[in-house]
Amino acid sequence: MLFSSNVFLFAFLPAVLLMYYLSPRWLRNPVLLLVSLFFYGWGEPAYLLLMAVTIVLNYLCGAWVHIRREKGKRMEGVLIFSVVGNMLILGYFKYAGFFLDSVQALIPSLSKVSLPEIVLPIGISFYIFQSLSYVIDVYRQDAPVQKNLLTFGTYVTLFPQLIAGPIVRYRDVAEQMENRRENISDFASGVHLFVAGLSKKVLLANPMGNLWNLAQAEQGTAVAWMGIIAYSLQIYFDFSGYSDMARGLGRMFGFEFLENFNYPYISRSITEFWRRWHISLSTWFREYVYIPLGGNRRGLKRQIVNLLIVWLLTGLWHGASWNFVLWGLYYAVFLILEKLFLLKWMERIPRGVCHVYTLVIVVLGWALFYFESLPALADFLARLFLPQAVTQTGINLISAHLPLMAVAVFSATPAAKQLLDARKSSTIIRYGKIAAAACALLLCVAALARQSYNPFIYFRF
Amino acid sequence: MKARKDEILTIVLFCGFLSVMLLCYLLLPKKDFSEKEKRYLEKAPVFSGEELLSGKLSDSIEKYMADHIPGRDFFVGLDAYVSLLSGRQITGDVRLLTGERIVEAPVEWNETAVQKNVSAILSFADSLDRPIDFMIIPSAGWASDNSRVATLDFFGQESYADEQHISSVYGRMDENVRCMDTLNVMRGREELYYRTDHHWTSEGAYEMYRAYMTSLNRKYLSKEEFTVESVPGFRGSTYSRSALWNVSGEDLELWHSGTELLVTNGESDDTHKGVFYRQRLEENDKYTVYLDGNHSIVRIENPAMAGAGKLLVIRDSYSNSLGCFLAESYETVVLVDMRYYKKPASQLCAQEEFADILVCYSIGNFMSDTNLVWLR
Repeated sequence: MLFSSNVFLFAFLPAVLLMYYLSPRWLRNPVLLLVSLFFYGWGEPAYLLLMAVTIVLNYLCGAWVHIRREKGKRMEGVLIFSVVGNMLILGYFKYAGFFLDSVQALIPSLSKVSLPEIVLPIGISFYIFQSLSYVIDVYRQDAPVQKNLLTFGTYVTLFPQLIAGPIVRYRDVAEQMENRRENISDFASGVHLFVAGLSKKVLLANPMGNLWNLAQAEQGTAVAWMGIIAYSLQIYFDFSGYSDMARGLGRMFGFEFLENFNYPYISRSITEFWRRWHISLSTWFREYVYIPLGGNRRGLKRQIVNLLIVWLLTGLWHGASWNFVLWGLYYAVFLILEKLFLLKWMERIPRGVCHVYTLVIVVLGWALFYFESLPALADFLARLFLPQAVTQTGINLISAHLPLMAVAVFSATPAAKQLLDARKSSTIIRYGKIAAAACALLLCVAALARQSYNPFIYFRF
Repeated sequence: MKARKDEILTIVLFCGFLSVMLLCYLLLPKKDFSEKEKRYLEKAPVFSGEELLSGKLSDSIEKYMADHIPGRDFFVGLDAYVSLLSGRQITGDVRLLTGERIVEAPVEWNETAVQKNVSAILSFADSLDRPIDFMIIPSAGWASDNSRVATLDFFGQESYADEQHISSVYGRMDENVRCMDTLNVMRGREELYYRTDHHWTSEGAYEMYRAYMTSLNRKYLSKEEFTVESVPGFRGSTYSRSALWNVSGEDLELWHSGTELLVTNGESDDTHKGVFYRQRLEENDKYTVYLDGNHSIVRIENPAMAGAGKLLVIRDSYSNSLGCFLAESYETVVLVDMRYYKKPASQLCAQEEFADILVCYSIGNFMSDTNLVWLR
């Protein structure tokens, strides 16, 4: 179920809020677990079983680690078992096809081997990472063991962040799972955050995506640049919109998830960009891969190797295809260069240049991210860098989207937030925000309604 | 911490809106058919274990809720005006021009369709071994080329290439196919098309009728011989597609000549007196008043013109209004729509002696519809 759908907005959400707040406190986690399973099973009931297996596996591993610790026994075996188990699940459902294709490309004699058709289970990359964080946190004593299977299940399936993150580490919410106090203030700010996220997705990301699709079919260098910028905005508003909706929904139920995006496009270096982009994923890889590998404590050479490993995995996490691997390594190269000397240099050059450098790298990175086939990528890069005139249709396409793109670019900066926060206590601003949110919500519903409005021109009798 | 009033208001408004929408979904009566979209809306989902497990149930619930969202017209219209005001209408399939005129986007050249349709017409003329007449009607957008796209269109400029397209298609015809000059009849005359529909008006159809009859040296009725009845409140296809609900309706005209015309169509045995089907005026799409809208085959008899010969028209919906005029100059006019008529037209020609044969298509259909291949 998508947040930006009529079913979610006008059936699931009101029903769930009602059930949740009518339930006594002890019943609230089980209610959340139940509705989250319903939410997950909505599109693909078959994969509920996989979800259940994941929950039970990690619950048992956590308990096992705990029991062995109580008995003073070694726990590494359990940890390895858990990591391997989770990776096998993720590997089979997400990477088996890709792995087989790659092997077959190297060894043609294996071309007869085939896999059953595997449909990627929604959100699997997110919930596997979350479950794994639990076992590791328990192992490291960063969080207490969760003895209640229902509460643990609630943590893994919590519907606000189930499908598109943020990846909530167990230790960040362990306390909230047991004792949280829902209150009016959090609920209200949750509403604002949710509506802001929904607007990012429906009012900005969707039209930008539309422009990107149209731009690919059109000639001209300017259109190609406009298109890839639109795609960069689409992917940001789509993803951060979902994160905002998740955090907003979380607050309505008394949870506080960490911020996942912090205006990444205002970064002045790639290093800074990755501190602002998909923070929960970078944090996960830093905590559970980079630091265990030794991080930067074992010398420069080892640090570079560690970075390459982390970014290879980060790339692969985004999708089972070589272009994602390439995309990850592309960032590794810039991060390493920045660590080695670039950051020091950049301190001495004007800020504007640093912004441009960062944006160009990031925007070109999205081209790498988008095109799964290398020839298509090469074609597109040629369109970006070999001058070619724009047709009238291209000009129309650009001009038609300029106003919205201006709004999108402005919304990607913290300017509005800074202006409003400075006057937070003013009555006009407080009620103005409500009016703005109400309008935005109506426009979102309007955009969703339009999608299903399809007049037929020719109709008989 | 004490809750602030604005926080309480936020929650009340948000939860209130979601709940009211939910209640409306549950309580409001549902429509089966959408007049504006001319399609049946999604039916209420039926629960079954199999549908549930395959995920199909959720799919049909989502479609059902999308089709029956409370206040659908309001929301759809709101989004249409947002697109318009933010300058994005040029990316849609219809355009609002000055003077509340809504036209379709320029028709693009479609080589595949052109090749198929041209060769179908050529081989049809060839098989009959006689000349036939052919006309492509340019689009309303081309005829209104002087109107600027109305709102917030900063640098956008669109050109309608109908003239080049029609000339190119005509250029591919041989001496058996006489191509009618439609461009000079319609050029710059936006009033020959509806403001809210893609079709030509009665006047537009009349102008083409006069031009065609003149080229054949046939008698035609002059404008003065008709009494014009205006029916207000017509909002046609481009209006529905635009969802710009504030655009006002327009008059639809019925040109009465006093001639007694008898109409039959392939779908029923009843004979209808006159070319206008007045009960259709009650409907949303009033253009169907002419000859009852689209039918596979329509036959109009004009007893007063006995001996004046028969005309066969291979056509699309533009000939619904054109046909009303053509019937004035022939003993019989037979209109065949290849989208629905699947028998060989050559058989018709063998059975009946046609004095003239006309293939008449709008440019939009000619570039997209390839049912002409059924023309055998």
